[in-house]
Amino acid sequence: MAFCDLKPVSVTDENTGVTFIIGSVFSVCSYGADCPKVFSWGMAKTVTVTRGGILFATDTAQYIVKSRLFSSPDEFLRAVAIIECAYKKYGFEYVHEKRLLPLKSLYREFSQGTDAYIGESEIDGNDAANAFISLMNIKLVKLLWLIALLIMLLTFGILHYFVGVTRDNLLYFIPISAASGGIITLLVYIICHSVAKAKYFRIADCDPAADMNITFVISKFGFAACESSTYQGRDLVPWNEADYFIETDKIFIIYKNNAPIAFIPKKAFGKKFAGGAADILALKLEQR
Amino acid sequence: MGVIKSEKIETADGSVLLVSVTDGAGIIGTCSAGHIPMNSDEASVTRLFYMGNDPVVRLVCPNHGSRRTDKLVSLCPGFEGSDIKLREALTECFDRLTRGESPEAGLHDLFPLLQDGVYAVYTADYYPTDGGGAFFWGAYNISHEVRATAERNRVIGNERTYKPCFLIPSEPPGHYVPKTKLMTDEAVKSRRCQGIVYHLSGLFSVLLKGHHGAVSCVEKGLPFKCAVIEKITEPYTDAPLPPAPPKEGEQPEAPAPVREGITGFRSPSVKIPLELFPRDMLMNILEGRTEYKPEHFNTLLKKLNTVRKKSVTNNVIPRNVLEKCERMPDSEMMESTCAISGLSDAQLEALLSGDTEYEGSVMISPNLYSSIITACSYLQFTDKNRFIDFAINAMSRPELSATHEYIARRASAIPNSAKLYKFFKDAADSGDVAFEKISAAANRYIADYEAADNN
Repeated sequence: MAFCDLKPVSVTDENTGVTFIIGSVFSVCSYGADCPKVFSWGMAKTVTVTRGGILFATDTAQYIVKSRLFSSPDEFLRAVAIIECAYKKYGFEYVHEKRLLPLKSLYREFSQGTDAYIGESEIDGNDAANAFISLMNIKLVKLLWLIALLIMLLTFGILHYFVGVTRDNLLYFIPISAASGGIITLLVYIICHSVAKAKYFRIADCDPAADMNITFVISKFGFAACESSTYQGRDLVPWNEADYFIETDKIFIIYKNNAPIAFIPKKAFGKKFAGGAADILALKLEQR
Repeated sequence: MGVIKSEKIETADGSVLLVSVTDGAGIIGTCSAGHIPMNSDEASVTRLFYMGNDPVVRLVCPNHGSRRTDKLVSLCPGFEGSDIKLREALTECFDRLTRGESPEAGLHDLFPLLQDGVYAVYTADYYPTDGGGAFFWGAYNISHEVRATAERNRVIGNERTYKPCFLIPSEPPGHYVPKTKLMTDEAVKSRRCQGIVYHLSGLFSVLLKGHHGAVSCVEKGLPFKCAVIEKITEPYTDAPLPPAPPKEGEQPEAPAPVREGITGFRSPSVKIPLELFPRDMLMNILEGRTEYKPEHFNTLLKKLNTVRKKSVTNNVIPRNVLEKCERMPDSEMMESTCAISGLSDAQLEALLSGDTEYEGSVMISPNLYSSIITACSYLQFTDKNRFIDFAINAMSRPELSATHEYIARRASAIPNSAKLYKFFKDAADSGDVAFEKISAAANRYIADYEAADNN
């Protein structure tokens, strides 16, 4: 099992005196109690992970481990990784926000092999947002031309309806129509940009790993994009877990079911090796 | 150096010695090696048992590492003894145990070399076989599925505890030296303990020390008593017991409050409720990991595919030892013994008449054929005479023909039984098609019996 060596995380709520241990089992040690309550992950009905904390619910009880109780973000991420691995094994209901990085339940433990490209960097929010935007541009370009043309015709028609087109004003009306088409199209374009950027940053805000140092691996057995503090060196998402990838000048985006599951910046591998990583990606996945 | 704490606790099943290891060196233990391309299919997970820098046993766990599936077991390069610290600790511990010291005192130097965790330590008799009649030392040269290696045994079920009783060697078969055996032939007679084993999976443990002694013990017919180290990792949940029926004139007992969470942690042979654990030991389990990779994991991986230098040897295990092993109880017998507490004659009669239930409860399993097979294995281990009667009865009933071949094979392992000879002889002479499935086993038995009779 991937991430099987992760050390359990123990956090104590100083206010209530309750210690939670998230490991191969979920334990609740109340202050002064003779014996802790211990739950196997198979007993969990729902586990919810948000930036605010972790909610562990069984049929009869609910426990909340607030994220502020964790001594560092690394500990919180380790706890989340343990939960995601348990989710894969026991299949309880796992509720989580959108992620920039693949869930740990997608990983399997592999030898990386000799042809692996390994890099480490943070995901640059602007790079990823620009990647979103350039993808959007490809989709929008025809639509924007159409919008521009329609607005031009509409403006021309309005002017003709209210003012009336004559030989004298025709030379004014054509540039006015073209300008209004261009301006409105530009506005639409700016709004779409903002939406794309906001969309990325909304995902990034939900993912506690967004600001962390990330280890990226591309090998012939699979890929990885995982917080460096959690990554153990032998965990990969097999290629059959992904559908296709898109390459921009700064980033690879890997998709599954038409949703991005991993953002892999080229700078993580360095200029020299980004081409090799791209070759493996192209061999293993369809490029769109 | 690890911090070792040991404590004897009293459970419902008797007293258990628990040993807690903190900051252990972790040079003996198991770890996951994940999916190894080229060595296993996509859905298999590999686990390693290692000693020092040597990978010793490779377990390929099919079905994504399912705990209910038997494993493929093969011997890796094996313990070469190059780790002096480990070799000396094993020798020292073994010497102490053979002199009659308790497992707690005898294994004291070995505990700091284990991975962190809580272990149950006890002594038990082992059969030095692979659970299929082959002497353990040479049985795992080729990777193959070994019955009863699943962590959750389908026959025994999840509720019962069982004592592992079969062996996997830690030394390669090439390490067998007849001259050493000559020395152990004498030594085993006076030894209080014949080996040290570490539980690996299901009914199987790895023999850390005492390989030559095992050969001598089988040859001399001595029990192979070992000091066993078993890691306690698995959570278990017992259903609450129903309240006892009230006596006349008494108020019925209120049902016990439903407990939140698991009941305790267990290893194959012990179940320990949470409240019986010393606090620090319980925290060691909760804050520890089931197994983890040692620092030298990459060295182990590199060695994993190396071929043993002495995989072919002229030093052959004596023939009489191999023959005696063939007659030892096999894994099916041990599984059924762990699964069944007892079978009365009335229950056996009910089984033969096609009932799987007796007085309102399922005797063995809701499946009739499975019940008969398990009952056969159980009787063969516990009472040979009852087994022979049951086998003959079952083979005489055409409606149980699906079990005939299995029962005939089991019965033919009982040498020189006049009852069986008579039954097989009658069956062979009758030419009845109902006995078609047992004819091969019957003819072989008749020939063997008559040959033994003539001699």
